[in-house]
Amino acid sequence: MAASADGRRAAAAFAPRLFVLVLLAAAIGPGAAVAAQSPPRAPDEFNLTEPQPGVYVHIGKNLPLDAPGHDDIANVGFIVGSSCVAVIDTGGSVRIGRELRAQILRRTSRPICYVIDTHVHIDHVLGNFAFKNDKPHFVGHAALADAMTRNRAYFMKEYGGDFEGAPRAEQIVGPDLPVERGLSLDLGNRPLRLTAWPTAHTDCDLTVYDERTGTLWTGDLLFRERLPALDGNLKGWLAAIDGLSRMRSRLVVPGHGSLTFDLADSLARERGYLSALYDGVRRELAQGQSMQDAIDKVARAERDRWMLWKDVHPRNVARAYEELQWE
Amino acid sequence: MTRIGAKAGKDLVSVAVLCALSLGIAGMAMAEDDFQPSGSAWELLRAKYYGDKPMGLVDENFMSLEVPGNTPDPATTPLTLRFSDDAERRVKRVRVFVDNNPSPLVATLDFFQTPITEIDMHVRIDRFTSVRAVAETSDGILEMRSAWVKASGGCSVPPTDSSHGGALGQIKLRPAADDKSILVSIRHPNSSGFQIDPRTGDAIPAHYISSILIKAGGSALLEAQTGISVSENPTLRVASDQALALPLTIDAVDSVSQAHYTGSLQPTNSSASAGRASSVMNGGER
Repeated sequence: MAASADGRRAAAAFAPRLFVLVLLAAAIGPGAAVAAQSPPRAPDEFNLTEPQPGVYVHIGKNLPLDAPGHDDIANVGFIVGSSCVAVIDTGGSVRIGRELRAQILRRTSRPICYVIDTHVHIDHVLGNFAFKNDKPHFVGHAALADAMTRNRAYFMKEYGGDFEGAPRAEQIVGPDLPVERGLSLDLGNRPLRLTAWPTAHTDCDLTVYDERTGTLWTGDLLFRERLPALDGNLKGWLAAIDGLSRMRSRLVVPGHGSLTFDLADSLARERGYLSALYDGVRRELAQGQSMQDAIDKVARAERDRWMLWKDVHPRNVARAYEELQWE
Repeated sequence: MTRIGAKAGKDLVSVAVLCALSLGIAGMAMAEDDFQPSGSAWELLRAKYYGDKPMGLVDENFMSLEVPGNTPDPATTPLTLRFSDDAERRVKRVRVFVDNNPSPLVATLDFFQTPITEIDMHVRIDRFTSVRAVAETSDGILEMRSAWVKASGGCSVPPTDSSHGGALGQIKLRPAADDKSILVSIRHPNSSGFQIDPRTGDAIPAHYISSILIKAGGSALLEAQTGISVSENPTLRVASDQALALPLTIDAVDSVSQAHYTGSLQPTNSSASAGRASSVMNGGER
């Protein structure tokens, strides 16, 4: 009961902030200047909240991956223990990583001992470089190192402006502490439980559970408001949603979108879209229809429930079509 | 500029072996060509394949080309051709081009007796480009449709891991409920020759499906000569305005091993399925 009352309070507290962000996103969306990154901010404007004691979150903007400000679309943050700090995702540019690091230094003098990447996508990992001199362990799914190698050339070519100076491979910092299935880290009287998932959103998804506050960081296994983007395996993602729904959690930090205390509801919404995608593409394939036909027809009823539909949905259908044509 | 473009174009349309060189030259030309539907590559392609024969721009009724202007995936861009030719003017052959790809000729499609109303395939788009379909009709006329696509990197995207999952050359056939179309999926990396293995840094050699012959009821329905601009796991969907006769058979040839990958859709013995075919797949090397 107490949890659900908290939930309502927290939801009420987050809602206005989200609303402002949505307005902001709409205002700077189309037609904005062609700056590669978001404009520099004063430190106070980084918009960091502490929704649970020692849990700090910066909510990313709901912008397309090719929009100005696209380096700040993921939720990033950190958890402070009694001996050290774990960073969870570092943002889509070295600059966002540096801003996040500055926020950490303003709040604690404890060292940064871990930088945890929830998966390979650029909006979550390119800020890693900002933490290199802190000499933390970089922690990721056992498949993350390989995934980063595969994406290195793509990152440098397509997102060169998000590096510091000229894009260099050294600025793409991979993990040195791989998680095969599960791993416990201790920040000093503050255990974190890490879980590595079979291929779902990507082939290297990792979740982080803070036992002290019951905060679950889902990485991109959970999207809220922003349409989920499929880059791994659709069947695997639906299975991961089943797995996530069995996890205990109070506060949930999704990879994108607002914080919530209601994991079950968020997973149900995401499952609603992904299963409509799965069922729809399978139906199109069973009838021998084309990919374009599937893009036009599949999951249309979900359209008004999500942001960035036109930017993300066609590619999801293409991915699902490629995956499911071998069933 | 014109001279450089001309040299690049000539190399580009010849053979894949020269592509590494010509890609560099094309890269230099690209800065100027980047954001406009440049005609320079096309002028060369046109001269090579059609000489100075006049070419009409037909209306959508005769032939249409649909390709998303903002592709969902540069390495797997859906492309749809639709035809409503008549008995006097039949389409005999269609070539599909992606002007600014290292290998611009995507496919040469030969039609036979059965009228074809639609063809769908997935193609690689390497950079901003025009995509074209040129039809040769039974009365000796050339007709063209074209579209502009914004995309980049489709020829060099590393292979997805999903392509390693099954047997090379596995074929899936999916007929529509009315049997008027067939969707063919061939499991094959269709390596472009421009992909780099990110683990070793080495180029992955070109390795693709070089031809696909589809027969319906024992006679040819469609023959496609294909190349590296076709996406990984080549997919071809063919539709007609009449039911396609069974058996439907597929024979696809591997560019390296020359192996034939086959699959077929046989008539069912049981009348219970009312004309629906049974799928006999998993065609392997013959």
